[in-house]
Amino acid sequence: MWARVIEFMLAVWLALSPFIFHYSRDEPFFFVNSFVCASLVTLFSFLSFWYPLRKMHLLTIGVALWLWSLGYSTFPEKTSPPLENSVVIGLLLLMLAIVPSYSSQLSYSWQKFIKKKLNETI
Amino acid sequence: MNFFFHLEATPKPWSYNPSKWSQRICISCIAAIAVLIAVYMGFYQWRLIEYVWDPVFGDQSKQVLDSNVSHTMWKWFRIPDSIMGATAYLGDVIFALAGSTRRWQDRPWLVILFGIDVIPLGAVSAVLVFMQGAVVGSWCFLCLITAVISLGLIFLAYDEIWSCILFLRAVWRKSRSVRLLWDTFWGKASEIAYEAGESVIQQRKKRGN
Repeated sequence: MWARVIEFMLAVWLALSPFIFHYSRDEPFFFVNSFVCASLVTLFSFLSFWYPLRKMHLLTIGVALWLWSLGYSTFPEKTSPPLENSVVIGLLLLMLAIVPSYSSQLSYSWQKFIKKKLNETI
Repeated sequence: MNFFFHLEATPKPWSYNPSKWSQRICISCIAAIAVLIAVYMGFYQWRLIEYVWDPVFGDQSKQVLDSNVSHTMWKWFRIPDSIMGATAYLGDVIFALAGSTRRWQDRPWLVILFGIDVIPLGAVSAVLVFMQGAVVGSWCFLCLITAVISLGLIFLAYDEIWSCILFLRAVWRKSRSVRLLWDTFWGKASEIAYEAGESVIQQRKKRGN
């Protein structure tokens, strides 16, 4: 579950980014984008704590790809701290989102298989 | 028939479990050092700091980090190349820490992903760094340290990836089914995947005897 906790921390950073990087208030898109993406990442990571929804974190991949792609929404010369922040957070979320929720345990399929085999043996 | 499934099983051809925690935590710690070094260089490229520590080559580090090659990579990645490197090393940390102590069998995709992050990417970045003297005409001490770390990580990580490949090969030899191989790769258990895993372990035991 450590990956979900770090995802939440990144979501907090993303939500604070407009204030840290002093996003221009003339461009509300980045403000709204940060809050919406942070909310979605938080939602998906929290829902993943409930075992039946343990794979919800995979939806964070979509948010991560969106954040990463934002970096390519302008010419390379016009890149700015908000965009670079978006690329870095996107890449980090992309790596974390593929880590299974109960990653230190055997995969669910193997757990089920072993249980079945043990029942057969007994 | 007895059923065994030990989390600390020793796969072929090693005398230890390459997925054991002690080895993976060691890899994570070494990669974390590379993350810190790369972030430090990234701070210079972002001009959050004005100076890069280099006890050997002096100002040459600045020339490397401010070179045209570096700026071109910044345009490609949209972030400084040092920060991109830091992200890749952080990937090593994340993928090293994820998974059980038998992940070479229960989550091959994770081990292969870890292998891709450590081996080809690490080797390419190390070669690029070692070439900087010829391409840029300057040397960067901290870049060389990270390149050496990349090579060290390859040495520490290849055993687990090799065991995973041997396991997948055993699944293929037993089933000759692309579908089953695909399912096993993504962590789906099956009788054949179990037998393949046991054969990888048992073969080593036979050799030992």
